[in-house]
Parts: sequence; C-alpha cells; structure tokens
Amino acid sequence: MAPRKLGIPLAVVMGAGLAFTLFPIFWLVMTAIKPPIDWNASPAVWLPSCPTFINFLTLFDPDAIREYGVGGVSQSATAAVFGSILASVASTCISVCIGLFSAIGISRYSKGSRSTPLVILSGRMFPPAAIAVPFVIIFSTVSLIDSYVGLIAVYVAVTLPFSTWMLKSFVDDLPREIEEAAMLDGMTRVKAHLTVTIPLIKGGLFSTTMLVFILNWSEFMFALVLSYSNISTIPVQLSKYVTATAGTLYGVQAALAVLAMLPLVAGGFLIQGHLARGMTFGAIKQ
Amino acid sequence: MGKKNAISIGRMFTTPGQLVSLLVLVMPLAVAFYMSFTDWTPTRGSLAQAEFVGLENYRELLVWDTRFLEAIGRTLALSAICLCLEFLLGLGLAVLFMRSFRGKRALLSAFLTPMMVLPVVVGYTFWMLFQTNGPVNQVLQLLGMAGPEWFKDSTLAFAAVVITEVWHWTPLFFLILLSGLNAVPENPIRAAVILGANPRQVFWHVVLPMLRPVIVVAFVIRTMEVIKLFDEVFMLTRGGPGSSTETISLYIYKLAFNDFQLSYGAAAAFMVLVGSLLLVHLLLTPIKDQLMEDRH
Repeated sequence: MAPRKLGIPLAVVMGAGLAFTLFPIFWLVMTAIKPPIDWNASPAVWLPSCPTFINFLTLFDPDAIREYGVGGVSQSATAAVFGSILASVASTCISVCIGLFSAIGISRYSKGSRSTPLVILSGRMFPPAAIAVPFVIIFSTVSLIDSYVGLIAVYVAVTLPFSTWMLKSFVDDLPREIEEAAMLDGMTRVKAHLTVTIPLIKGGLFSTTMLVFILNWSEFMFALVLSYSNISTIPVQLSKYVTATAGTLYGVQAALAVLAMLPLVAGGFLIQGHLARGMTFGAIKQ
Repeated sequence: MGKKNAISIGRMFTTPGQLVSLLVLVMPLAVAFYMSFTDWTPTRGSLAQAEFVGLENYRELLVWDTRFLEAIGRTLALSAICLCLEFLLGLGLAVLFMRSFRGKRALLSAFLTPMMVLPVVVGYTFWMLFQTNGPVNQVLQLLGMAGPEWFKDSTLAFAAVVITEVWHWTPLFFLILLSGLNAVPENPIRAAVILGANPRQVFWHVVLPMLRPVIVVAFVIRTMEVIKLFDEVFMLTRGGPGSSTETISLYIYKLAFNDFQLSYGAAAAFMVLVGSLLLVHLLLTPIKDQLMEDRH
C-alpha cells in the first residue's frame, strides 16, 4: 500500500510542531551571541543587535567581557570543559569495553536470563540522589571524593547496564553459526569472539559508545555532589552561573550551554538509526 | 573444547562487569540500606557507632513527613500528565510521519533534536524562556494576555516544568512509536480493509493493539525517568516556589546534601525504590509474555 500524501492542513500542524521543537534551541543559540546589553532586555530581544563571540571568549578568558563593562566573572570554564572531556571519554571507553565482554558472555554462554528486561529496567530506576549518599560517604573514607578517579568509577558503574544490554542485543542478532564456523577452522573460542564477533558488530559498538558518551557527558547530579574544588564538569559549571554574584550571566551561560550541546547533537544524528534501541535498552529494534 | 571450557570462558567474560557492579553499585546500596535503620548524620562520628533505630526513619516518613508524601504525589501527578501529553503528541507526529512528503529525513532529525540536549541545558533554556520579560510572555502579550510571573505561582511553575518535560521527551515517544508503526505487518491491515473496515477502524482496532508492547515499553522507560527527574527542575525552579515543584529526587537530594539527614534520606530513597519497582512490575505485566518471546 502506497502511503497517503500529507495534505496542507496536516503540513501546517507539523510546521507548528516544528516551531515548538526548534524555538528553545533558537533562543539559546541567539542568547549565546548576544552582547550583554541584549541579555535580559525588556522587552526581550529576539535577534542580537550586534552578534558577537564575546560570550564564548569569556568562557576561557574571564576578563574578556570587561570591554562591555561587565565584571565579576570569577571563574573560567576551561577546567570544566577539560574535566567533562576527561571524565566522559575515560568512563565511556571503560564502560563499553567491560560491557562488550559481558554482552558476549551473557548472549553466548548464559542460559537462564529470561527475566532480563525487568532486571535491567529496575537497575536504571534507583534515584541517583539515593545512590549518591553512600557514594559520598564511602568515597570520602578512601579519599576518592573530589577526584576524577572517583567520578569515572561512578560513571562506569552507572552506564555499565546500559552498554551491556545494548551490546547484547547486537550480539543476539548475530547467528551463532558464524562463530561456530570460525571455530571449526581451528580458532579458539576467545579468538573467534575477538576476530569474528567483535568486527561484525562494529556498527552497534559505535552506536553504543556514542550513547554512553551522551549519558556521561550529560550527567549532572553525581558531578554536583562529588566535586568540591579539584574537579568540575560542564553541567556543574553551568549550574553555577545562575548563582554568580554579578547577577545572571545569561550570554556566557548560554555560550557554555551551546558548547555542551554541540557534540551531543552531532553525535545523536550520527547514530539516529540506533537511537530507539539504545533508549529502550535493546527492547525495541529498528 | 568441552562444555566446561565454554562455561569458564563465559564466566571470564562476565566477571569484570559483575565486579564493577558489585563494588560500585551493590556495596554502596548495602551501606545505604544499613544506614536507613540508624540515626546517623555526619556530625555524629563514624557510621559504625551510629545507633540502630529500626524502622523509625520509615515510620517518620510515612506518618509525619507530609513534604515526602506530597513530593511522591506530585511526582506521580507529573508522570501522569507528562506521559499522557507526550504519548498523544508523539503518536500524532508518528502517524503524520507515516504519510509521504518531501524532506522526511531532515525533518525526522529536526524533531528528534530535543532528546539530544543535556537536561541541564534544557532546564536553563526554559528558565530563560519563562522569565517575566522573556519571549513566552512576549508572545502571550501579542495575543492580548498579560504575561504572568511563572516562577512565583505554584500552578504556573508546575506548568512550566510540565512544558519543559514534554518538550524534552516527546521525541522519545515519537521515535519509539514510529519504529513500532513501521514494524506493523501489512497483511492484517489488508485483511481488515477487505472485510470493509474504514481507515479509522483499521487504526483503532488493528494497528493500535499491535503497538501495545511498544507503547508499554515507552511508558515504563519514561515513568522511570520522571521518578528520577532532577536536573531540569534543579535549573528551572529548585523545587519552588515553596516546595510546589519539588520532585521526589529533588527532595531526597535536599534531605541528604542540604540538611545532611543522610540516614533519613536513605530510608526515603529505599521507599521510592520499592515503590517504583512495584509500579514498573505492574506496568510490565500485560506484555511480559511478549517481551520474553522476543528474547527467544
């Protein structure tokens, strides 16, 4: 059956939906290139009177904004950007590596895992605020608090169910016969997995890595409670501009928000085809 | 290469993951569980010396703590409202995407964008949009309405949270429902048409029932996310005015990290965990058999 065409009334409905979807992003990007005078103008200014990159510069050089007569940006965001990159990249690599082996192990060697969907779902359900309490207590006794090692450990543990079950769904899609054929040719099981299974799920591996990266890069609460002064991430830095004593630094904050958003939006488009599977822990396959 | 060999390889592959989960998830949870039966706060020395108070924390929460009970009710109400709106909007959009039109791929990407934005950024962006002199009020004025102060009125602040959540997560419903619609087999639809069903009947009586498992999965996943909702509300309202937008996660966070009532907060967290386990179990019951069939 050929699908019906979209008529004009429905196209208008869709256009309205598109406007609702894109307007907040438009506003954020516009604020990021507004000079201080437009930041909180009354009535609100939709398009910057003279677009500028000063907000982005201020992120890395707090004094840059003084030329517009605004002072009091106390902290550069350099440390937060560096911290976010370090914590997300390291924890994503570790989580996906461990998850990959768990996925092969569970998919190929374990039997009684019928109740898995419920188990995974419940693992994701515990409010982070609740796990954060014991983390802070345990980490402060082994001096892992306010350190990247501690933060990375938390991120690995929190995203591990995610990478395991998403990768498992990709391994499940692969017929066992392929590995068995390789073993008949004299390969050991381990070698068959390393040289046959893993290359065949490359695409899934890439999508999983991107999704886990998105999760780690976006994480806010653990970073908030586990960081004092040594470590910082972009989301934590972002929440701090609201309380800055110099009033709210709308433009600078928006600039950091745009920087934080760019890699995710780009990455999200790359893995669009696997997004549904990832967000549902492999329960829905596209 | 016997069976034994295979089992030991399987074990070897799964051990690192289990170790990490044990060390970094199970252990802290066990500590928190023990803690919830004590009256420990950081000012009272080490956890080992804390006094065991049995179910006292739990009793206090259920009997006396109206703020806790309100936060639970509010979180449930928020889930119900957001999920219904997200489901209806997502379903509508997914049905539109089953029609043919130009630029479908590009539009699909555009509609999925909100999902990719960091929750903290979403919170900040909507905080700007709902400022008293912000663009939302400007549009309302154009329509002849006085722009309210969104964050000073409890109903409006709650509405702002709902709108933010709906904007952020409708794309997920849309995506899940679209992949569900694309997977609906054509034969039952053809059969229904031959038997004289009109398009509306086909949709309600043939297509929608086949989407049921997909819909349940979407609802379960979003319910879990709303129970954990923290980032957006933290940026938007910090739970205010008063505690009128305080979600259960935000309340537990405040208990533990603003008031340092750690053992009390742990008890609250465990009640939420048990409650949400039951809730998800109930939600999954109708499709449990189907989920297991899918996993051969």
